[in-house]
Amino acid sequence: MDSPVTVVLDPTDESRPAARTVGPRPDDLAGRTVGLLDIAKPRGDVFLDRLADLLTERGATVRRYAKPTFTKPMPTDLRAEITAECDVVIEALAD
Amino acid sequence: MHDLAALEADGIATTFVASSEFVTATDAQARALGFASVPAVYVAHPIQDRTDPEMAALADEALPRVLAAVTGAPPTA
Amino acid sequence: MPPVTTTATAAASTSPEVPADGLVVVVKQDCPTCRLVAPVLGDLGATVYTQDDPAFPPGVAVRDDTDLDASVALGIDVVPTLLRREGGRETARAEGWDRATWRELSGVADLGADLPEWKPGCGSRTHDPAVADAMLVRARGHELAARRVELAGLEDEAEALYDRGWTDGLPVVAPTPPRVLRMLAGTTRAPDEVVAVVPPNLVPATVEKVAINAVLAGCRPEYLPVVLAAVEAACAEEFNAHGLLATTWGAGPAVLVHGPIARRIGVNAGGNALGQGTRANSTIGRAVQLVIRNVGGGRPGEVDRATLGQPGKVGLCFAEDEEHSPWEPLSVERGVPAGASAVTVFASEGPRGVVDQISRTPESLARSLAVALRGVGHPKLAPGFDAVLVLSPEHVAVFDEAGWDRARFTTTLAELLLLPPEELARGADGIEEGMPEPTRPHPKFRREGLMVAVAGGGAGKFSAVLGGWVGGPGGSSPVTRIIEEA
Repeated sequence: MDSPVTVVLDPTDESRPAARTVGPRPDDLAGRTVGLLDIAKPRGDVFLDRLADLLTERGATVRRYAKPTFTKPMPTDLRAEITAECDVVIEALAD
Repeated sequence: MHDLAALEADGIATTFVASSEFVTATDAQARALGFASVPAVYVAHPIQDRTDPEMAALADEALPRVLAAVTGAPPTA
Repeated sequence: MPPVTTTATAAASTSPEVPADGLVVVVKQDCPTCRLVAPVLGDLGATVYTQDDPAFPPGVAVRDDTDLDASVALGIDVVPTLLRREGGRETARAEGWDRATWRELSGVADLGADLPEWKPGCGSRTHDPAVADAMLVRARGHELAARRVELAGLEDEAEALYDRGWTDGLPVVAPTPPRVLRMLAGTTRAPDEVVAVVPPNLVPATVEKVAINAVLAGCRPEYLPVVLAAVEAACAEEFNAHGLLATTWGAGPAVLVHGPIARRIGVNAGGNALGQGTRANSTIGRAVQLVIRNVGGGRPGEVDRATLGQPGKVGLCFAEDEEHSPWEPLSVERGVPAGASAVTVFASEGPRGVVDQISRTPESLARSLAVALRGVGHPKLAPGFDAVLVLSPEHVAVFDEAGWDRARFTTTLAELLLLPPEELARGADGIEEGMPEPTRPHPKFRREGLMVAVAGGGAGKFSAVLGGWVGGPGGSSPVTRIIEEA
């Protein structure tokens, strides 16, 4: 369903894309802290367990987090915790 | 998508992994949140009836794309 | 400055096909007078336009003017309006119901025999605020060249504008096309005219881009001429906005408004002039900073390398209180004709207050102020940074009552701020910072490096020092621009 849109005029020199973009990424994960965010759907933990092993083998420090429910955005305190502790986040597994 | 938008706003490179059933829903949600594209990684549906070895194989298969989503040059529109 | 127009009626550019000859009536269903006259409209032989309901009046062939193009083209203020056109020009008009006039215009002798003699009309739908925006965009939207960005439906407006990097961290007003068009009505300059080339990326800023950022900042349209002049001043070569951004020192561009425009648009020169609470003060300086950020690309952490920064970098704007000052305005000293409006943009830190509640002689008070001014940058560096002294009404009165004018005051300050070499030398007073081997007295400020403006509330023997940045060619010089539209 299309949601109503607000049109605004670009205040910049228009050298960057108008759409939101994701931010810069590290070159690789060695030495980085990677947060694995489990959205709390069945079987997702098994997938993340394996991913944790694979990332650890590649020199990343893995930290595990879990959302209380997959039906809502994560709570503010969880967001703050992840933001304080991680360089990179992998959220899984939605099906 | 909301979690990705929030964490990216905080400066954390983020991806999420979903089953292939979610491609359409994710694209729609991304557009509704103002993103032209997002670095999502899709794995083969279904998930919930898989054995542990099958889940591990799924993770092995997804790993290169997961790494690509959170390292190097960010995806562009 | 032209009056600010908030509807398109004065500026319509569309010209729908209205009859060149004959009678024309414009009505709307939502008007008791129009409903009253509905029975006679079929007797007129007129072209009938209806503004809101194409089925009104029943039984009469009407032209649908729900988009109001014909009403705008005909300049309709009131409904019903009956007018006669001959050869493409209007030759007669009656607003509201006036039986005698309608009979005369239509030539129908017994028109409306059952109706009262007279009943006033209602406001034309062209004046309905709910449709004014849409009309404005239809009439003038083609003048806007900036990229249109759609904020998606699930995005919170304030969050979306922040996330795109367009803000200084405070919420901004969404620059929608109607708001930008209303802002542009604050100037006679064309939207595509280039105001300045904005550092650090040296991007040309059009009047439209400045207007968009003025909307973001929260300006009213009547502030726009001040913002345009301030942007021009801030982008002047001698102001060196790029250097000011790139330095690790925390000063930023501040805007001092001179002349009658300050009072007219409400720039505060009185109590709390350097503080919060006055929209013009809070938004004009902010608009300049947003232009530098958004158009010029000057962002903290990128080109802006300030070690600490200071809250005035969100935007600092005030006016000299020329009305109550006993002295010739600072602007006149800077070459602006008396009575003209102007802006001076200068590099400024946040204000630091100076207390002197005891001095009753100009000599004593001047010495107090000189001691305070010596602290700009560092008490042992001279000359170095420029500064602005904001003299409060109770302080300037001490000088005025003793017969000191602006020139005598500034000359005396310069004498008091000629600092002896032994006090400035590195190591002197146990402080390693200082001048390398000074052999003669040094002036604290270069010539023209100290500006004095009078402002502030009536009570309080407190003035304020706005420290600046390195003055002159190696740094930044204040720049004054006359506001031609004022």
